[in-house]
Amino acid sequence: MPRYYFDTCDGDDAISDDEGIDLPDAESARRAAIGVLPDMARDKLPDGDRRIFAVSVRDADGSVVYSATLALTGEWQVQSAGS
Amino acid sequence: MFTASEHPLSPLLKKLGSLTRLSDRDEQAILHLPASPRVFAAGQDLVGEGDRPTRCWLIVEGWVQRYKVLDEGKRQISAFHVAGDMPDLQGLHLSVMDHNLGALTRVTALSVPHEALRELLLRIPELNAPFWRDTLVDAAIFREWVANVGRRPAYQRLAHLFCELYLKQVAVGLARDGRCPMPVTQVDLADATGLTSVHVNRTLRELRRDGLIELRGKRLEIPDWPRLVAAASFNPAYLHLASRPTA
Repeated sequence: MPRYYFDTCDGDDAISDDEGIDLPDAESARRAAIGVLPDMARDKLPDGDRRIFAVSVRDADGSVVYSATLALTGEWQVQSAGS
Repeated sequence: MFTASEHPLSPLLKKLGSLTRLSDRDEQAILHLPASPRVFAAGQDLVGEGDRPTRCWLIVEGWVQRYKVLDEGKRQISAFHVAGDMPDLQGLHLSVMDHNLGALTRVTALSVPHEALRELLLRIPELNAPFWRDTLVDAAIFREWVANVGRRPAYQRLAHLFCELYLKQVAVGLARDGRCPMPVTQVDLADATGLTSVHVNRTLRELRRDGLIELRGKRLEIPDWPRLVAAASFNPAYLHLASRPTA
């Protein structure tokens, strides 16, 4: 099975992967990459109103084959709340 | 008389002895249980969901995972078991297996017939307590896993699991000085903690970066036990060890 490397950032910590995970194909790597985004979000949220979670997948040659982001954009709709 | 340390059943004495005091008579009676060895390859099941076992397995060497398979082949691991554990002891009273026990590594296990265990417990009623205690402690560990998987963030969740697996091995003499076997893959850790394997990969890296663990060649190193305990909010009370092992 080919090995894929997942570099992730939760808005605070960017972690680059030098170990990798063996997966059957690029589609499995895509699914794994998307799957980590809600995991990171669950750990980090709620805190502020703006945050971007990001992941990018490298193959064994070091080429980025897939990347994805998940963004929180929160906004008060009333004047006084939260201030 | 058997010498306890050389006997094939001695891991069971170590395990039960880590939870409660056994008299010499109790130890000899346990060592006289009939037991036949079998080797399982990694990935093989010792017993599967729906089976009606007629014997219990005592793990002598290697790691066993307790798991369920869900829809689409998803897997939830609910326990890791090591030498000295008898993970299907409940089969004595619950006739149909409601989950699987699989070899995570190559496993050597001893098969002990239910008949022989029942006969032993009838003959020496005092022995019911240690076996009962063993299953109660397993239940306490399951409660902790529910709290861990349900409520702790990934970083704490993995740190907590490492604390538990290290102390479990210290208790039966398989670990010391902050080092122990840890023959689990990132996928196994993901299936045990309800995280994706990529998140496990990321979190292990964070734990390493913070100097809390080293994972090398299927072994875990804990450079600073009190710091890992603090990071995990780990309280070993739920393991109910008879004597608190010194980590």
